[in-house]
Amino acid sequence: MTEFKPKIIAFLCSWCSYAGADKAGGQKLRYPANILVVRVMCTGRVDPRFVLKAFREGADGVMVLGCHTGDCHYRNGNMKAMKRMRLLSRMLPQFGIVKERLMFNRVSGGESELFQKLATEMTENITLMGPLKIEGFVKTEGAL
Amino acid sequence: MPEESKKNKKTVLFLCKCSSNISDTVDFEEIKKWAKKQGDIDIAAVSNLLCSPDGKKFYTEILKSRDAGKVIVAACSPRLHEKTFRGLAEECGINLGMVQMANIREQCAWVTPDKTEATEKAKSIINSALNRLGRSKEIFRRTMKAEADVIVIGGGIAGMEAARTLSRAGRKVRLIEKNISLGGSVMKSEDLAPGMECSPCLMAPILAEIRDDKNIDVITKAEITEITGFFGNFTMKVKKRPRYVEENCISCEECFKVCPVSVDSEFHEGLGKRKAIYSLFPGSVPAAAVIDREHCLHFTDNSCSACVAACPFGSINFSQEEELLSIRAGAIVVATGFTAGDVSRFSQLGHKSLDNVITSPEFEILSGTNGPTGGRILLKNGKEPQSAAVIHCAGSIRDDGIPYCSGICCTHAVKAGVMLRKKYPSIRIINIHNDLVFGTPREFAFYREAGANGTEFVKCSDLASIKISALSPAGLLKIEGDGITAVEADMAVLVTGFMPPESAADIASMTGAELDINGYFIPDHELLNATGTGLDGIYTAGCASSPLNASASVVQARAVSGDILSRLIPGKEIELELYTSVIDREKCAGCRLCISSCPYRAIYFDHDTKVSVINESICRGCGTCAAACPGGAIEANHFSDEEICAEIEGILHD
Amino acid sequence: MSKPKVAVIWNASCGGCDESLVDIEDKIIDLADKVDFVLWPCAMDFKYNDVAAMKDGEIDITLVNGGIQNSGQEKIVKLLREKSKIIVAYGSCAWLGGVPSLINLKNKKDSFAVNYLDCPSVINPGKKVPMAKSMADGYELELPEIFDTLYTLDDVIDVDYYLPGCPPMPAMIINALGELLGGKLPPKGTILSPDISLCLSCSRNGTKPDRMVMGEIQRIHEIIADPDQCFLNQDVLCMGPATRDGCGYPCITGNMPCTGCMGPMKNQDQGAKMISALGGIIDGYDEEAVDRILDGIPDPAGTFYRYSTAASYLGRRREKNR
Repeated sequence: MTEFKPKIIAFLCSWCSYAGADKAGGQKLRYPANILVVRVMCTGRVDPRFVLKAFREGADGVMVLGCHTGDCHYRNGNMKAMKRMRLLSRMLPQFGIVKERLMFNRVSGGESELFQKLATEMTENITLMGPLKIEGFVKTEGAL
Repeated sequence: MPEESKKNKKTVLFLCKCSSNISDTVDFEEIKKWAKKQGDIDIAAVSNLLCSPDGKKFYTEILKSRDAGKVIVAACSPRLHEKTFRGLAEECGINLGMVQMANIREQCAWVTPDKTEATEKAKSIINSALNRLGRSKEIFRRTMKAEADVIVIGGGIAGMEAARTLSRAGRKVRLIEKNISLGGSVMKSEDLAPGMECSPCLMAPILAEIRDDKNIDVITKAEITEITGFFGNFTMKVKKRPRYVEENCISCEECFKVCPVSVDSEFHEGLGKRKAIYSLFPGSVPAAAVIDREHCLHFTDNSCSACVAACPFGSINFSQEEELLSIRAGAIVVATGFTAGDVSRFSQLGHKSLDNVITSPEFEILSGTNGPTGGRILLKNGKEPQSAAVIHCAGSIRDDGIPYCSGICCTHAVKAGVMLRKKYPSIRIINIHNDLVFGTPREFAFYREAGANGTEFVKCSDLASIKISALSPAGLLKIEGDGITAVEADMAVLVTGFMPPESAADIASMTGAELDINGYFIPDHELLNATGTGLDGIYTAGCASSPLNASASVVQARAVSGDILSRLIPGKEIELELYTSVIDREKCAGCRLCISSCPYRAIYFDHDTKVSVINESICRGCGTCAAACPGGAIEANHFSDEEICAEIEGILHD
Repeated sequence: MSKPKVAVIWNASCGGCDESLVDIEDKIIDLADKVDFVLWPCAMDFKYNDVAAMKDGEIDITLVNGGIQNSGQEKIVKLLREKSKIIVAYGSCAWLGGVPSLINLKNKKDSFAVNYLDCPSVINPGKKVPMAKSMADGYELELPEIFDTLYTLDDVIDVDYYLPGCPPMPAMIINALGELLGGKLPPKGTILSPDISLCLSCSRNGTKPDRMVMGEIQRIHEIIADPDQCFLNQDVLCMGPATRDGCGYPCITGNMPCTGCMGPMKNQDQGAKMISALGGIIDGYDEEAVDRILDGIPDPAGTFYRYSTAASYLGRRREKNR
């Protein structure tokens, strides 16, 4: 059996967490290559649908990283993201997706080490959890 | 360009080695091989350093010569060079929405030491950019007409400074003041710490400059009733109350002498008297006096017209009427100042119930040459004080008062002692404090110098425990508190904190700008835009967003003016945000959930057509509304559902 | 000229859709005059063999209600696809899976356990559950195989039109049948209701404030609902914003919030969109405060995907390493 390499989508806001990830690059901080970044202007743009889309398309984990409370470039888009992700993570277990597969957290543009830490931990956690059963998409599943 | 010819345009992938920063880790040969297999990539071009002059030339030459329509730049972070490569592409006739960066440096080569892994990740990143580009739409730069005039609310030091600065650049300014004349709180101080400069002397030339400035229209006795619009296009409705004295009045004060009515003077914190016809202080702007309709006998029982007879200029006009003004402006500066904390509810401090216990604002006005006593500070029995206690944080840092530290009152507290010592060199000054806060080295030196000159500083562990009592009627005061030996003094000055005025809340509710829990305007960004509010074009200067001293208020006023001058230029249209969101009117059901989600109040509900509408001159493109729209009627430009979903697909399946 | 042939078939659904055809009242008589029913198991006695004997495309319109949950249903809809010119996914179960597709949050084993073993009202000493093949009195019996997943109709066969609703409302049925029988065919794939949210026509739209904040979420029985106020503004979850218009809002008229039976707008995921919309109006500055409000939604999946679990982005429960 080949080693399980999870795919993790990270939605990063352009102003804080994406900048934090860039800074991690600037400092050459290593983190697993499993983290695949989708840049948005604000985490407030992250429709829960994108998270579900990522799971459906084969992501084993999803991270949504916004600005710290009060630091949002768009005033409070991060709060809306927090509320959406909080409600979504209450629902995911009903679909058999343990809620740890979705991480919402806050990383500022300066917190490159924190970004590295979260990316590494998320990869480790998801690796332990194993792959999310992605062939579950209805059209290709079951007796049909 | 017709659709057909666009279809045949090439998709070009630029691979930047970034010297060897990227190519050391990412295998470019492998990426090129992979790109060849992707049917959607027509050309893959490798550059040593795409952002160098040679690289840029290479970039534009390929775009021009190879009939490029879509561009992927696999290089560094879009935060660094997206603008660069979009700008160059635009010069080559390619829409900036058709340029997509793939960040294979910061988020790939530099963080992934394993070459195979890095190369695989780079493929995913490039593929996501490619897939996204397949759904991207063109983005267009748009502009909008804007007013260059400015409204400044509040005629204190911050408001006046903003008005002066803007006027110097030729802008027309409406300076709105609710009081009868300009000056604000600074005018009530005699000296300003730490330099101990004479405040009225400092203010007089500023007031005169504003009086004579043709660009500045001073509107006093004003009440703002409505503010509508957005950056570049505000409309404000203002009620201008009558003065009953014509503008030709020079405040010669002849009428003051004959007016039979005497009432407590608000300017003097109720410690002095004024007539029913009055001005705040000599040299006020506007110069004209004002009749107080509530107390003037002409208005109460029509029994007096003494001022009319006394006036040498025929300036009295009892039939003046309220005016309703509608003013347009491109930006609004809110400089509403502060009110002092209220200590009346803390009975153990003895304010009003004990003689010789005064607040710091009362101290300021009593020590002023504009004050009711002409600057003399005497005890109730007429004697000079031998000793004074200055109580810091009176009514502050407590849940039942001002819950925060205002940060600037310690300097005021030290100043009170310094001013008393100037008048009475042998006086004993005891400052009772807990924390001491000084914002600058000069303020700190001022405090140390006061200490060296004899001011005693006594640390009380809980200032809420301070109790002031009188040892005998009209006699010495005794001040007790946790952790201090009881202090006896002839007088006590209660140093109050700063609070936002009620008018700030009115303006907030009219504009929709947000206030924090304490009633201060929340800055658009604490660091990068401390004088902005969440609403573009509505700025704050001075104490509107937090307690500030006079110098910081002036700095803010100038900062605001600079921002306005750089953005509102007469005859020049303002550039709108690139990534605004747009509502499809056909799909909008009018559920209005987007309105609540917008952090900028950029969305309004059109009650006639029953759809929500985004004002693109306010929208800053965060896309929160597009996520919130349950019907999919809102599209975030360049971050549409389609584009983001394409990116997700692309990054997961390369 | 012969009358158009119409078939009606009932799969994983409650029967309400069949009922709804009768709910068009006297118009059903006109309909019966105008068309020949060739299959309608709920109302008439035809055999599947009669259908199998027909020519391909001989049936003009087939109304399929219910999602597909067993091999028998799969077989008959595939047969009907061959024999029909137009297949209409009739009702939200056929279109989106409907309420029965909430079973997708579990699997076959779980559902058998609940229905045949653990349910307090079940007496089943032999612990028997449905099986595709079983022996009785020496004979081998064959039953349709029940799937682990409930599928929407278009997961199984090509569908021409969709008529939403649980069940579709009479006016919509009359309109749709009128259009289809009259030969005025909309583009294939059309969902036969307006592609816009219920809020558009909702009688309470006018009372809605421009800005809303939900400080708590209550269920309808916990409050005395103001019959004129937008439910969301009364702190009651209403799926209206994320749900299609066209039903005539009978629930709202009955002072009950919309539960979403008309399904989402085109290309939208109903549950995700409602979650996203709520995120913009739920009050609370920190996680704790938000959690207290969210506690008012005890069953998020059942609330947001009551009628569309099978058609949702996730479609069914995922399990690791299964």
